[in-house]
Amino acid sequence: MLSREEWLPLARKLDWDYSYVREDEVFPQVISGHPWLPHSEWKDWEESFKTSYREYVDNQYEKDMAVKAVRDAVGRIENVQKLAAPWLNGLKVHAAALPLGEFTGVIGNLRGARFGRDSAWRTMATFGALDEYRHTQIPLLLFHELVKFDSQFDWAHKFYHTNNWFAVAARHFFDELTVGQNAIEFHIATNFVFETGFTNLQFVGLASLARESSDHMFERMVTSIQTDEARHAQIGHPVLATVMKHDPRYAQYLVDKWFWRNWRLFSILTGLSTDYLTALDQRPYSFKEFMEEWIIDQFLRTLDEFGLQKPWYWEILMDELDIYHHMIYASAYSYRATLWFNFVIPGPPERKWLRQKYPKHWDDMDAVWEQVSERWRTVGPGPENELAVHGTAMPAFCDLCQLPLSAGTPRKNTARVVAHQGRKYIFCSQPCQWIFLEEPERYANHKDVVKRVLSGEAPADLPDLLTEYFRLTPETWGKDVYHGSYEWLAARKTSAT
Amino acid sequence: MPIPLYGFLEGDTVGLLILADEEETVQTLARKLQDAAHLRVARRDHAHLFYNGKAMDPALTIAQAAFEAFDRFDVISGWQR
Repeated sequence: MLSREEWLPLARKLDWDYSYVREDEVFPQVISGHPWLPHSEWKDWEESFKTSYREYVDNQYEKDMAVKAVRDAVGRIENVQKLAAPWLNGLKVHAAALPLGEFTGVIGNLRGARFGRDSAWRTMATFGALDEYRHTQIPLLLFHELVKFDSQFDWAHKFYHTNNWFAVAARHFFDELTVGQNAIEFHIATNFVFETGFTNLQFVGLASLARESSDHMFERMVTSIQTDEARHAQIGHPVLATVMKHDPRYAQYLVDKWFWRNWRLFSILTGLSTDYLTALDQRPYSFKEFMEEWIIDQFLRTLDEFGLQKPWYWEILMDELDIYHHMIYASAYSYRATLWFNFVIPGPPERKWLRQKYPKHWDDMDAVWEQVSERWRTVGPGPENELAVHGTAMPAFCDLCQLPLSAGTPRKNTARVVAHQGRKYIFCSQPCQWIFLEEPERYANHKDVVKRVLSGEAPADLPDLLTEYFRLTPETWGKDVYHGSYEWLAARKTSAT
Repeated sequence: MPIPLYGFLEGDTVGLLILADEEETVQTLARKLQDAAHLRVARRDHAHLFYNGKAMDPALTIAQAAFEAFDRFDVISGWQR
């Protein structure tokens, strides 16, 4: 009987020459990806984990049991009820975006498991697909328990099945990243950029915020998921190295494109929780500080290792670190009924902290919060006044990222209109425009929410849009956590009178 | 038939879809955007509307100013002609 060391290399690295079909028929470029190279160019593909299926199953079983133990100990409704209300609403953002987004990763990994160009790559992608099943099932299981406590947690499963504007944006992203992607672009975009580059925001940053917020169930869940990510993220590096060797311009393009697309998504997913939905005394750092330490520095080092350049839009990205998620949060607050979670207004201590962390543009953001607060002060607090402190005109969305046109600064929004083949498109930023124009055939037929309304595909009336198209109800649509009842605002009213 | 336009008010955090009537004036359109964004940005006097990089005469109608669907316009306060 062969020992593990003798058997494993034979099992995970098993390639052969084809005699009845050509190699390019087994691995067509359209689904295996560019550049198409003979297997001789991929045969040295390697990763360091070298796990057997038995070891994989044993490890995953142990990890699942550990998550189950934590759920039994601290994941019950009575534990969740003790968490701060703003944090709970940040949790709802992740509850919705995470599980079925991970499920799309199953599809992408299975494509790699069939159309990856080397057997060791395909073996690893098979484990990657199993990982992503796990990352779908665990949060669905844990958050389903919470529906009895708060019906907004129902969006853990419902989110991607709606035409909510943020779901449209998230689907646009994941459809391209994972569902409809060839194996090479999938593994570079997902393993190298998304998982190596950005998921630290979720799995390190958010895990530490969860710990500070005493949300041990969420902390343990994301930490458990991270151990899988660390393994299957390794697929991307050797794929990128081979593409870099044969078509460095294309490698640079893929990295630049996907770093920007990931930035857009994660600045919202993590930025809002870090700087607004975590209690002030539980914030160990700002979103910008975390981005700089865990994403930017690490990403630049990795680019250097591969001989890649900084993305051409680097200065734009650095400017956005100071302002983009703030503009999104203020905009989303003023259209909160279009979302499935609740918001808070930053009070004086939070605004003082935000000014210290983001001095460059905070004056402009502070003026916005003053104005919103003033509206609450005028109409008075209470759930009955929610819609009196809510936007009425329709916000506009970017034709690439599908997110609100909230880029640039409040003084100078960077949205731009571009005509392409007789139709006008609007983009929130230069990088979104660049991505669109590099492959317009990929994006041009997608309609943003505004154009769906104007064409009659979606209702123009706000209540109908919320209930029929976004699938919200008066119980589940987003509100101010405190319905405008803030001590600091009441104190201001008293002193004003 | 209303003309859909993308309006950007100085000081605001998001661009808005504004439906303009051909016969309304540039001044009315500017006011319409200010009203739409009033939850986030206080109304200011002496706001000017910019279209294709030029300050527009407030008395012009939307038709005279030749606005086209899905174009961008900006409303900026404190700008002196």
